[in-house]
Amino acid sequence: MSVSALFDAEDRRRAAVFEQDWRKRRLAHRLQNLGWLLLVSALLAVSLELSELRNSSVGLGWGERVATFVDRMTPHLRADALFASRNTDGSLASWFYDLPLWLVAIRETVAMAIVGTLVGGVFALSLSFLAASNLNANRPLRVLIRRSLDAARTIPDVILALIFASAFSLGPVAGVLTLIVSTTGSLGKLFSECMENARIREVEAIAATGGNWLLQMRFGVIPQLLPQLVSYWLLRLELNLSAAAALGIVGAGGIGVELQRAISFTEFDTYLAILLLIIACITVIDLVSERLRHRLIGAMA
Amino acid sequence: MNDTVALSPADMIARARARVPRAIDIPLRERLQPWAIATATFALFIACCIDLDLGPDVLANGIGKLGGILAAMWPPSAGGQWSRLLLAIAQTLGLAVLGTLLGILGALPLGLMGARNLVSNAAIHFIVRRMMDVFRGIPALVWALILVAACGLGPLPGVLALAFADIPRLGKLFAEAIESVDRRQRESLQATGASGSLVIRFGMLPQVLPVCLSQCLYYLEQNFRAAAVVGVVGAGGIGFELNERIRIFAFDEVALITILYIVIVGLLDEVSQRLRARLI
Repeated sequence: MSVSALFDAEDRRRAAVFEQDWRKRRLAHRLQNLGWLLLVSALLAVSLELSELRNSSVGLGWGERVATFVDRMTPHLRADALFASRNTDGSLASWFYDLPLWLVAIRETVAMAIVGTLVGGVFALSLSFLAASNLNANRPLRVLIRRSLDAARTIPDVILALIFASAFSLGPVAGVLTLIVSTTGSLGKLFSECMENARIREVEAIAATGGNWLLQMRFGVIPQLLPQLVSYWLLRLELNLSAAAALGIVGAGGIGVELQRAISFTEFDTYLAILLLIIACITVIDLVSERLRHRLIGAMA
Repeated sequence: MNDTVALSPADMIARARARVPRAIDIPLRERLQPWAIATATFALFIACCIDLDLGPDVLANGIGKLGGILAAMWPPSAGGQWSRLLLAIAQTLGLAVLGTLLGILGALPLGLMGARNLVSNAAIHFIVRRMMDVFRGIPALVWALILVAACGLGPLPGVLALAFADIPRLGKLFAEAIESVDRRQRESLQATGASGSLVIRFGMLPQVLPVCLSQCLYYLEQNFRAAAVVGVVGAGGIGFELNERIRIFAFDEVALITILYIVIVGLLDEVSQRLRARLI
């Protein structure tokens, strides 16, 4: 007895209907995927065309170019002279020849990040109460503040730095102001989202005892959100540190200025040395802030 | 009721203290802690300001000039170069697309290697993860500066800079997405006797793909901003145009470009948010 004899005509008809439906669905799915693929490819082709990437010639062959570059970027250290003085070729000290100056510049970058994050954080906190829909019933004001925060977040920080530099002259002040604006934008959004998730009962309790708006925010909202707010703030401090390092490249003070200088003197090995210093600094701050954040989250739970 | 009346006030206070000790007796150290933190932060702030020569006179001096610049921004003007500006914006978009794509391609193998549930070798996993953590902090502009020096002005260093900045960040996100895969779907496929590639295709990909795609879209958005930034050091596009106009104090044109830019970022944001909402 064959297997098909086990099924009657009705079963086979049902199976056929199922098969047909399944094929139709599969076809639709595949067509949809094909459509996405075409769309992405078209986007890619247009991008290639617009960015003129195809026309950029690399002069020498690729391999040669990369090899020369890597050779110029790596320091020529010698094992026997590794710990010799600054004036000996091939020593670590001659690679990091301007270390004291760089450390001062790094301190400046850290100071820029701290001031920018602190002031930006204070601005963001004050504005976020007004931008949260559950704490501020005045809709036009809320929308206005939200849009301003969006704009502050959207303008690339380097462009802001260039504009501030033309008003405050080149130097760390322009960098700090840039960081303040971008931090206010990004933290303002995050803070106001936190506040929209805040329990409103605490606020109502303070209102019931006769507390005014400021007291409601201070004792009703801040205590329940503090760990979250501080943890966002610390995260922003980390981001601002690398942003501050980058801002120096356009002249806004700190270690980035040294990076720019190394490039304009085509000292690529010096660039690498400074880059390593920046990475070390970011890693340290990263670790410290991660510790603090974990402790804060622990306190919240 | 009787015994509450019988209690003396001192007893009542003692009872209340026993019931909620922390309402009344907070140790002095704990009460001082917030003030100590606030004072330390403020001292740090002042020290940093002194280090940066950031005083009220510097600010007052600059704010006057900033007011002049803001006044010069009105009315915004294109300087009769609409087509050039639009082309520059399109170029920046192209840079962002290519940079993101290259970043995704570079991040995929790293993400796979960094996922604990795919690579059982703890050493590989650890090294890949650490490397990604280390390089995550380097902004695209820092990459762009060195790459422009290495391969000359033009879009190529810009694209590479965006990709280099994205690879460690996306790699980490990919690895985390893969690690958070529900293993039961994999196991059920393994139980049916599916081969390794089929297990990945039907047991993991459907879970990982939407998360990864939505992150890629988010990075595309971010890269549009970064592409404008790398343009400043010579990768072309809108950043180059803006830099040029700021240097010659043509702030009315700067204002127009900035407004145009904000509008386009807003549109991109909207589109990508819709797409991401559909994906997840």
